Parts: sequence; C-alpha cells; structure tokens
Amino acid sequence: MSSGHEQSSRFAENVTDKMPLTGDSTILVPVDVSITEPPDQVILDLLKPVNLVVLGYYPVPKQTAPAHLKEEHEAEAAERLESIVSRFVRGDHEVEDVLVFTKDRQDTIDRIAEQHDCDAVFVPGETDAIDRILVPLRGDVNLERIVSLVGELVRASDATVTLFHSVPEGADPSQGEFILRGAADRLTEEGVDRDQVDWQLSEGGSPKRKIIDLVADYDFVVLGEAEPSLRDRILGTVLTPILEEIEKPAIIVRDIE
Amino acid sequence: MSKGQLERNIGFLEAMTLGGGTMIGAGIFILPGIAAEGAGPASSVSFLIAGFVALLAALSLSELATGMPIAGGSYHYVNRALGGFFGSIVGWGMWTGLMFASAFYMIGFGQYLVEPIPFLDGRALVVLLGLIGLSLIVGVNYYGTEESSQLQNVMIGAETVVVLAYVVLGLFFIDPNNLEPFAPTGPSGIIATTGVVFVSFLGFEIIATVAGEVKDPSRNIPLTMILSVVLVTILYALVMIVTTGVLPYQAIGDSLVPVSDVAVVFAGAVGVVAIVAAAAIAAISSSNSSVLAAARVNFAMGRDDLMSEWLNVTHDRFGTPHRAIIATGAVTALLIAAGLQVETIVALLAEVASFSFLVSYSLVHVALVVFRRADPEDYDPSFKIPDVLYPAVPVLGVVLTIVVISQMAPIIILLGLGIVGLGVGWYFVYVRDHAIDRGLIDEVITSTTDAYRVLVPVANPDTQQNLIRLAAATAHAHTDEGTPELVAVNVLQVADPDPQQNVAAERLDHQRDLLDGAHDIAAEMDVQLRTVAMTGERVDETILEAIVDEEPDQVLLGWGGTLTRQGHVFGPNLDAVVEDAPCEVTLVMLYNDTIGNPVALAGPGPHSPAAARRAAEFASVDGAVPTLLNVQQPMGDDDTTASERGNAVIDDVVERAGLNPEDYERAVVVDDDIEAAILATADQFDTICVGLSERSAASRVMFGTIAERISQEATSNVGIVRGWNES
Repeated sequence: MSSGHEQSSRFAENVTDKMPLTGDSTILVPVDVSITEPPDQVILDLLKPVNLVVLGYYPVPKQTAPAHLKEEHEAEAAERLESIVSRFVRGDHEVEDVLVFTKDRQDTIDRIAEQHDCDAVFVPGETDAIDRILVPLRGDVNLERIVSLVGELVRASDATVTLFHSVPEGADPSQGEFILRGAADRLTEEGVDRDQVDWQLSEGGSPKRKIIDLVADYDFVVLGEAEPSLRDRILGTVLTPILEEIEKPAIIVRDIE
Repeated sequence: MSKGQLERNIGFLEAMTLGGGTMIGAGIFILPGIAAEGAGPASSVSFLIAGFVALLAALSLSELATGMPIAGGSYHYVNRALGGFFGSIVGWGMWTGLMFASAFYMIGFGQYLVEPIPFLDGRALVVLLGLIGLSLIVGVNYYGTEESSQLQNVMIGAETVVVLAYVVLGLFFIDPNNLEPFAPTGPSGIIATTGVVFVSFLGFEIIATVAGEVKDPSRNIPLTMILSVVLVTILYALVMIVTTGVLPYQAIGDSLVPVSDVAVVFAGAVGVVAIVAAAAIAAISSSNSSVLAAARVNFAMGRDDLMSEWLNVTHDRFGTPHRAIIATGAVTALLIAAGLQVETIVALLAEVASFSFLVSYSLVHVALVVFRRADPEDYDPSFKIPDVLYPAVPVLGVVLTIVVISQMAPIIILLGLGIVGLGVGWYFVYVRDHAIDRGLIDEVITSTTDAYRVLVPVANPDTQQNLIRLAAATAHAHTDEGTPELVAVNVLQVADPDPQQNVAAERLDHQRDLLDGAHDIAAEMDVQLRTVAMTGERVDETILEAIVDEEPDQVLLGWGGTLTRQGHVFGPNLDAVVEDAPCEVTLVMLYNDTIGNPVALAGPGPHSPAAARRAAEFASVDGAVPTLLNVQQPMGDDDTTASERGNAVIDDVVERAGLNPEDYERAVVVDDDIEAAILATADQFDTICVGLSERSAASRVMFGTIAERISQEATSNVGIVRGWNES
C-alpha cells in the first residue's frame, strides 16, 4: 500500500505543476459537415464535463480545389456546424467551433488540436449507452493526462472504468500491477467512486489483439496516443488498426509533452 | 457563423509526384520517336533547350506563386497583372493545352498497349483504347474518387525505376556509330524539335495550378518546380542519348513505341513488358493530372468572372466540378478520335499543347515584370528571382519562347493562333461584360505620383458603399492636382498566419468583394480606385503600415459612433490610426444616405481649418455650399461685439483652411448655452464636421466636449477631423 501512496503523491505533484486550477480538459470533436449527422445524446451527456472544440470539416475530393468547394458550400456547412454546436453548448463549459475545408481529415485534426491546445480527440462510433469504459494504459506514457481526463468524464456519471495493462511474456507482472493500482488510486483522488474502478492485467500475447477483444464488452474506450515508430509510420500506427476494428466511440488522449 | 478555413494538404513529396511525375510520365515514352525523327541524336539538345526555357518559366512562376499561392497557376498571375484580355488568352490557352496534352498521352497509351501484341493492330484500336483510358480518368474525376496518394507514389516510383533502369542498362549498349551524324537536321531542326517536346515540361505548371493547396508554399513551390524541371531535363537528355545510341535514329523515328523498341534490344521481353506497364501507368497519371489542373484553371477563371459559373458548379454529392470535367473530357475525346483521320495526330497534339504553354509562359514573364513594377500591397513573394538574374530571366524567357515558336510548323502556328483567337473572342463576347478586374498594368503605365490620395479602410460591405462614395467626393475636390486616387484597404485579421493554412484565397475573396462594390462608384465619380488587401495580427497596426506605404493625403475611416472609456477612445482599431497617422484623418459616422448640406464648426481648435475644408469637400457631393458655424456667448449687453468676435474666428479659420469667400456661407449664433446652441444649429444640416481638440501631453487623443456631444447626440452625419501639418 505504501507504494501506492508514493505513486499517488507523485501524481499529485505533477498535477499541480501542469494542470490549470479548473482542471478542465479540452476535447476536439470532429464532425463531417458535408452530411447531416446530429450528435448522439449519449455522447452529448458524456462530454458534458469538459471544454469542447467542435471541428466541422468538409471533405474535399482530390479533383476539386478546396476554395471551390468553400465558395459553394460554406454557408450550408456553417449552418450545419452551428446546429451541431448548439446541441453541445451548456452554461459552464466552453464550446468553440472551427470550420475547415480539407483534403486530409487527419491533417486538419492534428493542426486544430495543436492550435487549440486540445488534450484529446473524440472518435465517433456506435453505442446506446455509456456504462462501461475501457482504459488501456501503456505504461508511464501520457498516464497522468489519461487518468485526469477519465476522472473528469466519469466523476459525474455512474459509468464504471476498467483500467487495462498488458505486460510482455516473461516480464515481472508486479510492474503492471503497480501502474494499474496507482492509476486507480489517482482516479479515486479525482473524485471517482472506488466502486466504479477496477483493473485488469494481462500477461503475454499481443496487447493490440487483447484490447480489440476486450472492447466488445465495453461501450467506450480511452486510448493514449503514442509517437509512432518508424515502422508504424510506414505500416500505420498501432492505434489505426484498433480504431478501425472496434467500431465503438473512443477518445484519443494526445501526447503533448 | 463560423468562417471556413482552407487546409493546405499537398506536401513536398506529393508536389514532386504531381509535377515531376507528370513530366517523367507519358512524354518520355512517346516523344523519343518524334524527337529522333526531327533532330536525330541531337534531340537530347532539344530537350536541354526545352528544359532551359521551362526553367526560366519555373523561376518566374515560382516568384509569382509564392507571392499569391492560390489556385489557377499561370492564368491567375497573368489575369491579375495584365487584365482580362490576356487573362482569357492564357486561361483558354492553358485549358486547351491541357486537353491537347491529355489526348496526346492517351493516344500514346493506346499505342503502347497495341504494338507489342502482334495480332492487334490498326489505328481504330489505338483510338478505342485511348478513349477507354480517358473515360476511366474522367470517371475517376467525376466521382471524386480519392485515389490513395500512396498508391500514386508507388506507381510513379515504379515508373521512374523503369526509366532509370532503361537509361543505366542502355548506356552499355550505345553504338557510337549511331550517334553519327549527331545533328542531321541542323540548328533549326533542333529548335523545331524543342517546340514538339516542350509539352513534356508542363508538369511544373501543374504545381502552380494547385499552389493554393501546397503546404508551406514559400518553400515547397519553388523547390519542387525548379527541382522537377532540372531532374527531368537531365533524365530526358539521357533517355534521348540512350535511345538514339542503341538504335539508328531513322529506325526510332518510324516507331510509335520507341522506348519499347530500344528496350527489346538489351532487355528482351522482360524489358518490353516493364516498359509497356510503365508507359501505361505514366499515360494514365499524366493525363489525370492534366484533367485535374484543367478543372483548377476553370475554377480560377470562374472565380474571376472570366468563365461562366454554370460550368463551375460542384456536384451535390461528389463535390467535384463535374461539368468542367465532362467538358474537358468531351473535347479531349474528340481530339483522340481525330487520330482516326489525321495520321500525324500525336506530334500535332504535342506541338499545339506546347504552343499554348509557350504563349502562356511568355505572358507569365511579362506578368512578373508588371508585378515587380506595380508592387501591389498583397504581393510579397518569399521566393524572389535573384537581382543578378532579374531582368534577364523574363527577357530571355520571352525571347526564347518567340524563337521556339518561330520554328514550329506553319499548321501548328495557325492552330495555336486559332486558340489565342478563341481567347480573344471570348474576351469580347463574354469577359468584357462580366469581369471587373483591370489588371495592374494600368497602374504601371499611368503614374499617380502627385495626385491627391485618400486611403479608406473598409471592412463592412454594408457601410463601405457610402464610405467610398464620400472618399471619392473628397478626392474629387482635388482634381486640380491630377487624377485623384482612392486606396481601399481591407485588413484580414489573422491570429497567427499558419503555413498549413490557405490565407491567400481568403484575401482574394475579400478583395473581390471590395472591388465589386467600389468599382462602380469610383467610375461614376471619375476617381481611380485601387484595392489593397492586407493581413495582420492587429488591424490598427496594419492600417498604419498601409498608410506609411501609400502616403495618402487623408485617411477616411468609418466609425460606429460609440465612445469607449476602457483604455480606448474610439475603439481598439481606430485609436492608433487617429493618433499616429502622418496625414489628415477623418472619422465619419453615416446616419443618412445623403451628404446634403454640410456645416463645419469654426472654432479656435487646431483642427478647425481641416474640418472646414472637409465640409467644403463633402459639400461638393451634392453641389451644396458648406456653412461655417461659430457660436458666441453674449458679452454683457452687446450682441454685435459677440457676433464680430464670431466672424473674426471664422475669418481666421477660413484663412488657415485656404478657402475662397464664395466657397462657404457663414453663420454666427449668439447664445448663452454654447453647446446647446451648436447642437440645435448643427442638427439643421445634413452633415456636421468637427475638429478634434488638442492632443494632451500624454499623447492621448482628447475628445473635446462639444465634439463628443455632437457625436453622441447628433442625428446628422458626423465627420470628426484631425488635421496634419507637414512641417
């Protein structure tokens, strides 16, 4: 237990260093404004406790000059964005909106997330309710940002959180347990009821596969972004295949440091 | 409502594959035959000359493209510099040039597929395959299929590898005897061949047509344009040496698939398969970029009102400019089909495309000179042709273009001039009635040195109309000093100009809005109007920058009429201008559409004379006579002394303002309550001019109490004037 305590006090220090006093995170919500697609009520509820940047992007086909599409569809796109934003607006948190005509959605998401200092990016998916949230943790990478964001989202709801970590075959599993226990403590500190949090440790096998299998039982995933390795740059990042397969809504926590 | 931003998504590699890929593309497989026939082994020299002419154009285009990185390429720069007449010549020239080039690629595509298979033969099949390939491309463009750029990179990479292998392997099989005689047709044959092969160098132009989408344009545009031209020139020259070295040039000249015929000599069947595959890919990708660029040129022409909006509508579902794509495809199909009748169609198509682009590039060189001369405010290229090369590059570019064109076959010159004539005809039939741009050339020719100049910052389309009308009137009162000039400035506030984002297109939109509104009024008032679009993080600083550059005699600013107390007097965008502008400043609040009868408050303040002059200028709008008003408190029992004092003040103001006695009427009112009397009298007039009170020691603009009350309570138009002593 003493190790858990050390862990949490270290977190506490970092938190006071880096987070603003309000503790409010900002999440980027990209929306395709070339089609009418009202946001899910479940998602609206989930994102209530955080600041939002709603990015309305209008995809531009390669054959078209972006300025051309903007000229013809700007008004209609802005109107759609406005109606979506109006559904997100609540009294206590900021909701900003940005409209971009782009040929590369990911490029735009990266730029806007950077410009507006977003902590995470929302990825849409299908779900009826958000009761069970899976939070895979890779280690110390980005840990504190992930945990505080989960804290903010879950604090006010009844959803349960499962922290997940996979240690490689033959490695000491206690290291993984240490991470999970620390993160759980930290969530409790954030005001999440201890009963809402549990963890799962897995040994060996492909963490990616494990996560994809697990997601089937959950409604929502919070993933941490990682700097892609050279191999990932060529073959695609770890996240991309996960996101492609899960079909559940997710939040990618950016690695800003 | 949020304002849409444009993302720049084309990086260095994509720009290279778009430009270099198009150039390495189809031409390298088809042209060697025609080139060998025209110039023998010396055709490599033809390619070097063509590359040099292209390099000159790439230099000029790079400077223009980094100055205005938006869609349209050569067309846009020529249109802005030289106006709609030359704009429509280049627009039509580029469009038709791209269609001719596309048809040329697709016929080559058919030839490469048909030739290696013995039992397939005949022009009909070549044309048919060409048409099938074209319909594929048109389909892809119509439906806006987002082809994976990775796949494109792989294809262009493979094609480049095949060409490099061809060059490297072929070098060992060169028979020096084949290179004798080196130049069987002499210098004129070499130059004539340059005209044919120039078509292969239009790839770098495609980079310029998508300039609005290139990331970090100031670096990537010049780098990719110049690099692709240089690399491709070297590659083409080597390919020609290998081709004419391995087989006698007479044999190659007769071949429709020269590269494949040469490859069979040293690489056998494998070589042929590789070459055919590469040639097919190359033709498709080159043709695709041409259709893509053609749609951009159409869009840019539509944006500048040089082309019907009907053609430029984007598809509801696919978002593509489908009509422009279909039109381009239809004409290209006709050109391919012409291959059934005209035996020499391939060389013909290539040469007409070359002609169109040569004409465009020579006008681009002229445009560059015009831009440098006129030096418009929003033209600030990050890539500049070095000073040592400056007049040389455009001059040499134009001269060489003329030399190359002069050596073209008469039929080509005739067809080419026909296309130019099409542009000219289009200008007279359509453009003259639609477009409003006049081009910068007017400015370069007409000098505007000493004339009275009024700078009008405009931002709101609702109020700019009246603001410009008023500024024009003011300027018009100064016609004796030469044709007065209005400079309408619009500042686009950008928090942090991001190289990833397309600000240029927004600038252009703004400027066009301004032009639309301002042009009529300026013409009606017989004043010259110039628009300047600027971007800056702070509006006031940017306006001051414009004032320093333009050196106007007066700045006329619109003002909502509200005074703020929190650190600002007139508002954050106005205070600095009112304080620091090194010229006369007028703030106007326009409540009525008519200027009518103006009145100026003639008081002891330092800016009263300027206010009186402004009133006289405003009066000229409706042909009225201004009134100079002075109000005095009664002195004891004698009203006459009071009114004498008032008249004396007016005399003083008149003298300092330099007005003639017949230019104004005077009104002296004697009343106990000066402020109330001023307000009551002034309200009978349509427009009131008031001078600012003195500056305080803290250099803050102090707003006199009378001026303040007038600005808050008057129902007439109000002009608040700050004078300027040049001493």
